[in-house]
Amino acid sequence: MISEEQQDQAALYVLGLLEPHEAAAFEFELNANAELRDIAREFREAAAAMALTAPPRTPPASLKQRIMREIATKREERTVVPLPRAPFGWVPWAIAAALAVFCGLLAIDRVRLERQLADVRAADPLMQTTFYTLAPSAPAPADAKATVAWQPGRQSGVIRISNLPSPQPGKDYQLWAVDAEHKDPISAGVVRVDKNGVAQIRFKPVEKAEHVKAFAISLEREGGVPKKEGPILLVGSA
Amino acid sequence: MAGTSSAQEMLDQQMIAQIGRRDQSAFSALYDRLSGPLYSLAMKMLGDPAEAQDALQDVFLQIWSRAATYHPEQSSVFSWTVLLTRSRVIDRLRARGRRSRVVVASTEDTAAGVTDASTVESAADTVEKNDEAARVRHVLNNLPSEQREAIELAFFEHLSHHEIAARLGQPLGTVKARIRRGLLKLRERLSNL
Repeated sequence: MISEEQQDQAALYVLGLLEPHEAAAFEFELNANAELRDIAREFREAAAAMALTAPPRTPPASLKQRIMREIATKREERTVVPLPRAPFGWVPWAIAAALAVFCGLLAIDRVRLERQLADVRAADPLMQTTFYTLAPSAPAPADAKATVAWQPGRQSGVIRISNLPSPQPGKDYQLWAVDAEHKDPISAGVVRVDKNGVAQIRFKPVEKAEHVKAFAISLEREGGVPKKEGPILLVGSA
Repeated sequence: MAGTSSAQEMLDQQMIAQIGRRDQSAFSALYDRLSGPLYSLAMKMLGDPAEAQDALQDVFLQIWSRAATYHPEQSSVFSWTVLLTRSRVIDRLRARGRRSRVVVASTEDTAAGVTDASTVESAADTVEKNDEAARVRHVLNNLPSEQREAIELAFFEHLSHHEIAARLGQPLGTVKARIRRGLLKLRERLSNL
């Protein structure tokens, strides 16, 4: 059952009226809720129909020609164009040969640079790290926040939380990774804050997450749940 | 599109699939089908033919390059392209700080007096589209006026719910409820067309 508040959020979302952190929180909900996805789709269709109420106008024919020329150019850029025959027919071949040598040198240089970059990356894990800032979403306190440092290559990360009060007895906070290739958020385990509302924890999602769009923290039953059930308290994208 | 048959939607999706495979004839057909309503939307929001044409060009180049990423489960082709257009137009309004020039035309607007290279559609070649637009306009005009006003301010002027609340002198919660109820009614009535 979709609440009125969720419907409000869906309406504002399809109209692009949510703040970025609110939109991220709503997308998290969408990922986990098929009924909410349905209503968002229906609202999107209803909102788009508004376009039909604009006074009808026809663009000039020249615009279509301009656009068709543009896409034809894009197509040509992808195809090889044969050089025309000329009295000095060897010239294009000489240019091509010179370019080939030049490209070869560039390729060697690029391989060398890529090796150097790989060495630097191996030596410095921060270069493989993506940071996510998680903002509070009601009912979390307005000053609650968290930062996730995520290393996709290692499939692990560190989360630092502050100003998040301990949950009531029988409840736990749980961290989730929202991955583009997974229908449901992936659990990254229960996170426990100290009496000051602070935590710094290393985590590892229970499934491989190669395309993480966002992380979120929800309030769940004690010990955590395999699939998100409770409200989102903090959420954020990279 | 509101009132669009499932057969038309299948055709639209087929065109998008072909465009994803770089089929120019499918692109041309989709342009013929959608350029009118998309241009009308851009004109209503920007109020400037040259800018509206530039926005439409951006949109169709985006359709050409992103057709393969279209998700039919998220929206119809029509809705996808309308929201792309609105997004490009909003980018332009933001970039140029020209919100004050947004044309706040009511749904009763007419395009009389247009002198630019674009033209008001003739009744003869757009009967079908205009019928559909008339049905949507009828539905919209029969929404409670406070709901219609809130949706129009959000959709065409891209005012935030805070800005709408300030403009209408209403609490934020009231504005959110009006937008939600208006969209729910619009959805219900359009599905009955």
